[in-house]
Amino acid sequence: MTPSLSASLAAGGYVPRRKRPSIGLLLPVMLLVLLSLLPLFYVITKAWQAGWTEALHLLWRPYVFGLLRNTLMLMTGVTLACGIIGLSLAWLLERSNLPGRRVWGVILCLPFAVPAFVSSFTWVSLSAHFEGLGGAILVMTLSKYPLIFLPVAATLRNLDPSLEESARTLGHNRWGVFFRVTLPLLWPSLLAGSLLIALHMLVEFGALSIIGLQTFTTAIYQQFELEFSNANAAMLSAVLLVLCMALLWLELRVRGKGRHVRTGQGAARQAGQVRLGPWTLLGQLYCLALAVIGSGIPLGMLAYWLAVGTSAAFPASEIGEALLSSLALSLGGAALCLVLAVPVGLLVVRHKGRLAIWAERLPYLLHALPGLVIALSLVYFALHYVPALYQTSGLLLIAYALLFLPLAQAPVRTALNKAAPQLEEAARTLGASSFSAFCRVTLPIIFPALGAAFALVFLDAMKELTATLLLSPTGLNTLATAVWAHTSNVEFAAAAPYAALLIVVSGLPVYLLTTRMYLSR
Amino acid sequence: MMFRTTLRRALTFTLLGLTLATPLTQAADKVELTLYNGQHKEVGDELAKAFEAKTGIHVNVRKGSSNQLASQVVEEGDRSPADVIYTEESPPLNKLGEQGLLAKIDDATLNVLPKNYVANNGTWMGVTARVRVVAYNPKLVDEKDLPKTVLDFAQPQWQGKVGFVPTSGAFQEQAVAIIKLHGKEAAEEWLTGLRAFGKVYSNNMVALKAVENGEVATVLVNNYYWFALQREKGQLDSKLHYFTGGDAGGLVTVSSAAALKSSKHPKEAQQLLAYMASEEGQRVITQTSAEYPLHKGMTSDRGLKPFNELEPPKVTPADLGNAEEALELEREVGLN
Repeated sequence: MTPSLSASLAAGGYVPRRKRPSIGLLLPVMLLVLLSLLPLFYVITKAWQAGWTEALHLLWRPYVFGLLRNTLMLMTGVTLACGIIGLSLAWLLERSNLPGRRVWGVILCLPFAVPAFVSSFTWVSLSAHFEGLGGAILVMTLSKYPLIFLPVAATLRNLDPSLEESARTLGHNRWGVFFRVTLPLLWPSLLAGSLLIALHMLVEFGALSIIGLQTFTTAIYQQFELEFSNANAAMLSAVLLVLCMALLWLELRVRGKGRHVRTGQGAARQAGQVRLGPWTLLGQLYCLALAVIGSGIPLGMLAYWLAVGTSAAFPASEIGEALLSSLALSLGGAALCLVLAVPVGLLVVRHKGRLAIWAERLPYLLHALPGLVIALSLVYFALHYVPALYQTSGLLLIAYALLFLPLAQAPVRTALNKAAPQLEEAARTLGASSFSAFCRVTLPIIFPALGAAFALVFLDAMKELTATLLLSPTGLNTLATAVWAHTSNVEFAAAAPYAALLIVVSGLPVYLLTTRMYLSR
Repeated sequence: MMFRTTLRRALTFTLLGLTLATPLTQAADKVELTLYNGQHKEVGDELAKAFEAKTGIHVNVRKGSSNQLASQVVEEGDRSPADVIYTEESPPLNKLGEQGLLAKIDDATLNVLPKNYVANNGTWMGVTARVRVVAYNPKLVDEKDLPKTVLDFAQPQWQGKVGFVPTSGAFQEQAVAIIKLHGKEAAEEWLTGLRAFGKVYSNNMVALKAVENGEVATVLVNNYYWFALQREKGQLDSKLHYFTGGDAGGLVTVSSAAALKSSKHPKEAQQLLAYMASEEGQRVITQTSAEYPLHKGMTSDRGLKPFNELEPPKVTPADLGNAEEALELEREVGLN
């Protein structure tokens, strides 16, 4: 059977029979739900141990208010700045006749290739002026704006221009059309991107630690360094979890609303281009400035430190070891993600029910959990309840699975939607066991999607920092932890080779994948 | 058949990833030690290398901050994978000793060290000594304008001109010394003043480099950071100022080590401690980090101000206890 036939079967209005999902499907989902609730259990356990009055006392003090202020200011500042840059850039590159639009689009997405903790170290190594809140907003904005630019540009490209033209014929000028028609149409993708960035700001650790801005994540890590896993860290985690859940709630409310439907027949035309005329120069300068400060300075500084560092000393064996550990852990993490993503996807697609609803929402929940808090709770629970896992790479792989499962789920689910259950049923009637029918019928159909999911998780896991810092087995360094260890001692030159490798093996492929996904026409 | 290759490929991927991620299992008969290293990474690594070269015993080093590792040992209890713990300062080990988590160190090891730098009950030992100093940048401040006592750094005229590292164990020891010498109120006032007027740095090297680059005039650090930076850069702009007359600013503290009671290799753990106290081990450590060797009769050859010329306050590691008061005070004034 070919995938196209199975797809047409699935599209043929077949309603899956409700039958009880097998234990093999239920187990991974329940395990995941349980694991994703660990941070909550951790916070409650620790508060219980400390006593609730003590816990409240730890929460309700000026230090925590200071952290809250820093975190919220960073979040607001970066999200707003990214929104402005992302929106203006999307308009400029999609709707104007700016020469070199395509090339600019590719260049201006380069920040995707540089992990935030790497770009922040390059800025701090340039001057100490970039430390603190202002520097943090600058550096984080420059590394995150593509998260708004790309989806907004994609939406803009696919908008039917007739809507805007109608508004024009009804007497609106260009600005009026933009604010009354275009912006509302862009709102969903703009909002989704903004929420994602806000969430990133809540959970970001490495970059902010290097820039020296105290937020909840850096403070939690500081508490961990002071007292390992303590009530203080747990209480700060509680606040962070509440903030993340608030954003998650917002995202769930926003998601699905504001869908715009086109009723006209046929394909939409390409929108006309706005002639920039004398403004062309300004547009070029804007793009140039963004390219220089967004990727020119980080990559240039990195090249500088690389030249300085490799001339001083090049610990090839240590770098090789860190690279191998990174590769091995990411391969393992990606494999584990697939093993979990398939049953979760099957449950969602084939067994609608209460548990499937949980499974459906799981990735959003996981996505909102800060890596640092996941790691803290895993350390605590492994130590007290599963000592065999404590300080093993297995525990780290579990953390990766929790952190990166959302990346694997989307492609796997889409593919499973196309793999009609009748095909498996046919195999069953021919005598295959359900497992064997799955392996021999469905697996080959979803295999390309599995490959994509594997690549996505693998590449992102390569640059994971926080969970790796807390959970890695004794003596194990990855590229990311090596960058972090050296930069936190202000050894920029020593950090450079690790950072460069990280960009080559993880950043560049991510950049290519992402830009191809959005920019291809 | 397509599905077979597909399946085989999928399985290979999974197995490859999982096996690569599992650390190689070691031969069962060979003893390995796990060292929780709160000292500088290089010091722990060099020590482990030298010890393995001498004895053939491999040492796995887990790097962390001293306070973190000590609290971790408390949380781990009997299950701790660590055999030996090596910290930047004595209070964390005092805490472990109080909780009965440490094994008594062999007398032969303790005998080569001065009595006042060893735990009364012999559960931990000082390894090397270091002195608290102020590093200053002569372009920004004259040495003669530096205060006579470290307490005065908490005054408004030092607004934005003094850096400190509230999370470092040595800073916390200094705070405890001030409690011992001047009382709790004075210490609280000092911390409040530093919080208001000083600049907080995340670690000592960051702080020292800030002075070296002229971002801040002075920082409170340990002496050996300056020598480490000098070794890296050659010539330094910043200079060290030693407090005299028994001021808390010139506190002498010791890096310390202990064997865990829960260690499954007590003999080898003691062997490692003996090596750390021996002349050879002390040379390895003080070559890597410019600290004062504690082994009786040994002196540093790193050009430090001679140990017997320091005028530290009369506060011993025993007086410093577990330094928990300092952390509490820091929390009270909102430093963390």
